[in-house]
Amino acid sequence: MQIEKRFTLPKIGIYLVLLVMLTFTLMPIIFMVSASMMTSRQILKMPYTWIPEGIAWENFAKAIQGNDKTYIFVRNISNSLIVSTSVAITTVLIASLTGYGLAKFRFRGRNTVFMMIMATMMIPFEAIMIPLYMVVMALRIQNSYIGLILPFLVSAFGVFQMKQFLTTFPTEFLDAARVDGMGEFGIYWRIVLPNCKPVIATLLILSFRSQWDNLLWPLLVSQSDKMKTIPQYISSFALERSTDEGAMMAAALLASIPMFILFMSLTKYFIGGSAIYESRKG
Amino acid sequence: MKKTFIVVLLIALLLPLSLFAQGSKATAVDETKPVTIQYWTHEDPARTQLETELIAKFMADNPNITVVRSTQASVKQIELVQTAFAANQGPDMFNLPIENQYAYITNGRVAPVDYQAAGYANKQDLLDKYMDGVLDTVTVGGEVYGLPLELTNWSIYLNKKVFRSAGLDPEKDYPKTWEEMADISEKLVIRDGDILIRRGFDFRYPYYLTFFVPMVEQLGGDLLSADGKKAIIGDEAWLKALTYMQQWGPSGRNLGSPTYKNARNLFNQDNNDIAMAHTGLYQQGRIEKDNPAFFNSGEWMVIPYPTFKDAVRDVAACYYGHFFMVNADSDPAVQKAAWKLSGYLLSHGEEYLTRGGNIIQPTKALFASDTLKNMPYSQVFIDDMARSHMIYYGENSAQIQTQIRNAVESVMLSGVSPEKALATLRASVQEIIDEQ
Amino acid sequence: MGTRKYRGIERKQARWGFIFVLPAMLFFSLFSFYPIINAIYTSFFDKRALSKLPPKFLGLGNYIRLFDPSRAASDLSFLNSLKSTLVFTLGTFIPLLIVSLILAVFISNLSSNKTKKFLQISYYTPAILSSVVAATIWMIIFDPRGLGNQWLNALMNTPGVDRRWLVDPVMEQVSTMVIYFWKYIGYFVILFITGLASIPPTIYEASTIDGATKNQVFWRITLPLLKPTVVLVSVMAMLQCLKTFSTQYMLYSNGAPRAPINVITFNIYVTGIQQQYLGRASAMSVVLFIMMLLLTLLQFKTTKSENVEY
Repeated sequence: MQIEKRFTLPKIGIYLVLLVMLTFTLMPIIFMVSASMMTSRQILKMPYTWIPEGIAWENFAKAIQGNDKTYIFVRNISNSLIVSTSVAITTVLIASLTGYGLAKFRFRGRNTVFMMIMATMMIPFEAIMIPLYMVVMALRIQNSYIGLILPFLVSAFGVFQMKQFLTTFPTEFLDAARVDGMGEFGIYWRIVLPNCKPVIATLLILSFRSQWDNLLWPLLVSQSDKMKTIPQYISSFALERSTDEGAMMAAALLASIPMFILFMSLTKYFIGGSAIYESRKG
Repeated sequence: MKKTFIVVLLIALLLPLSLFAQGSKATAVDETKPVTIQYWTHEDPARTQLETELIAKFMADNPNITVVRSTQASVKQIELVQTAFAANQGPDMFNLPIENQYAYITNGRVAPVDYQAAGYANKQDLLDKYMDGVLDTVTVGGEVYGLPLELTNWSIYLNKKVFRSAGLDPEKDYPKTWEEMADISEKLVIRDGDILIRRGFDFRYPYYLTFFVPMVEQLGGDLLSADGKKAIIGDEAWLKALTYMQQWGPSGRNLGSPTYKNARNLFNQDNNDIAMAHTGLYQQGRIEKDNPAFFNSGEWMVIPYPTFKDAVRDVAACYYGHFFMVNADSDPAVQKAAWKLSGYLLSHGEEYLTRGGNIIQPTKALFASDTLKNMPYSQVFIDDMARSHMIYYGENSAQIQTQIRNAVESVMLSGVSPEKALATLRASVQEIIDEQ
Repeated sequence: MGTRKYRGIERKQARWGFIFVLPAMLFFSLFSFYPIINAIYTSFFDKRALSKLPPKFLGLGNYIRLFDPSRAASDLSFLNSLKSTLVFTLGTFIPLLIVSLILAVFISNLSSNKTKKFLQISYYTPAILSSVVAATIWMIIFDPRGLGNQWLNALMNTPGVDRRWLVDPVMEQVSTMVIYFWKYIGYFVILFITGLASIPPTIYEASTIDGATKNQVFWRITLPLLKPTVVLVSVMAMLQCLKTFSTQYMLYSNGAPRAPINVITFNIYVTGIQQQYLGRASAMSVVLFIMMLLLTLLQFKTTKSENVEY
């Protein structure tokens, strides 16, 4: 159902605003792509010539070779993929478990638990950085995948989303299954979980994305080059080659490709809100 | 139900605390026991290559020792080593600039040198092999706590082509005073409106303890009083130096600023965007690697650090050092192995000079060697080093450098008056000193 | 007999609920509660990173120091951090709120679904880049020779003027706001579109039948109904702004002055990690934590009381 126009601005005005915003949003990304194919000299020529004079392949070669020609880029981006995927999966599993418990079961202290979990969202990471580091060191899991994944195993935000979603889940189905003799865990696994698809998808993506972006924690925990993640790689690459803008943009571009692919193939889940709403209606 | 819940919660909260019970054992050092050395150092492709080779040989000669070498960008290295030590999990062996390392000695974090393990007969033997005074900076209470990896000072590299393109003769017209530096930079600068396309010279931001404090000292000022209790001596000198920087920056003659690309990174590219850069002997190795044509063309030279026209002292930019240090909390066998490794690596001084990043080890042998003398312009560096002193390396030197950075940048970039910046600087440095 | 069975089921239910919640609770205890309690504890001491000595007990000393008005003169004081954070938060979230609402309204008005989808996807794209990548790109744009100056000068017909994006204290703050705005605008547009879509069209039909003008419809019906979304978006935006870190960090690492962008999170990092004053940094963290807690409580209160009745 179309909402009727509520402003007296001509349609041109609307399109203009949207177009300006579009330019603003996409310009830096297009810049990254075009600059990655240029040499520094070309990039800093004023005014900027958007079209590169031939593709500077050496930028990409430098980006992948890294500061000391060890091609650690490949390893770093794999690390990011492994860590982000693991965190996404564990978050969904544990958040759904917890959200289900909070939504559909009554037990003493339920509200307290929920409040406490919500409070953890308020804790700024910088505050717990050092104590967390000490925990990880004591468990001897620093400089390993577990050390990168464990502190982010489940997100309070995920628990919140799951609880909200599951509160409206029809309890009749659960009771029916119980009467049929299904175990509680079986109910969770076979009935509840498959019906959370939209929230699961959104949660998977959001967790993946936020873990992909994590700079501070890997900075502390990944000491050897082999365990570093891609934001660390870009940051140290940019510092070392601060005058080679072409190579920096090439590295930035390459590092963004996995997220681009994920985004392009799953756009409807990123435009998350409407997806959840639509499935709820049905 | 609630009670059980609370009990579980308490256990969950207390469990982590019990994990942190740490004990240390004192055992006799068994030299044949297999040990692993965690060696953390900063990134430098040439030195990495050399050290990887040397470490391989070392491990072959010492089959019970495994060395794990990790590198970080230099700024990150400082923070990471600190964080690791704060969590009582520092690396076994590491190096940092001395101004960041001194605090480790005063806090009892690093162990004194094991002279025999490092390959010296005794302490005196060690002192004899190094240049006078170099080891003083890491000697506390009569014990030496570090072995010098490098001692570096910076002089001014000059691109002859850029000079000539502005009609100047690099051999004759190079700046000898700061006043000349500003005037010559003015002639070399190319601008598009306000924006600098080419600079003459630009400073080595943000290493203010290295380059700015000597400028103040040239004018007769000091960072601290002789007894180290009072901060900022010689207001007139400080104000003059701050005003010079203000004039250098965007609100003055607009000759440079900390937000432009670092001069020493640009210099290698020979892109006609910088004429002079403030950097060390090691830069030559980088030029040779990044731009061999430029390196071999002979179109660059090195000149001494300028002084002010009416300077009362002839002081060049400070030199700084990196020292190998060993974690005092590491297992004694690991400590011994770490000193052995340090001694081994450092015995290859000439290789570090020629292909390990052009770093200078302050050993008497190296300074007397032909290898050093034959490096282009090494005499300029040696002369500059002779008229300078070690960078301020007190316990809180990093914080003091931050305050100086703030003072200079507020004057250059934020329009703060030199007087106000100086007052703020004095107050904050005094506070830092008082807390030590 | 019936009540006994009921109680049995209830207890069984409670047990299972508890079991389901247990893994998360264990996790949060170790990785959230313990660290924050540790941080609160540390904030009462003068703990230094490298010192092996037991830290001096300061009581509220660290906190007093943070709010000491005589320190306000110093650029790097906590009070100034509060100011920078406030400036950054307001300067980012207000434009974010207004612009995203306007864009959402415009987009919802369009007739073509394909255009709607395209625009949403395009606006959202900056959000999928990592903050390090975003900061790297924008630093080149804000370089004196970069696009930032070129475009602004072209727009304002002032050739050759260096806007000093990363140098001038005001411009530096503006730069961080621009980067943040750019990154999150798409996300908030989508939130508003969802909010707008959840208003049943029947309301609009009813109002048109009643003869309401388009303006009246917007201001008297749409906006009030949108209130919960607006509150949600505001608080989320504010919290997100309070958490900003990488943008300021990247700028500072590349030579920009610290004072204008010394937001609380950055101050915590520098004070704790670089300057080794762990006690002080913990105190700052606790203050930030309390600020965020209050904001969220505010959000919960307002959304609870807003039971939107159609």
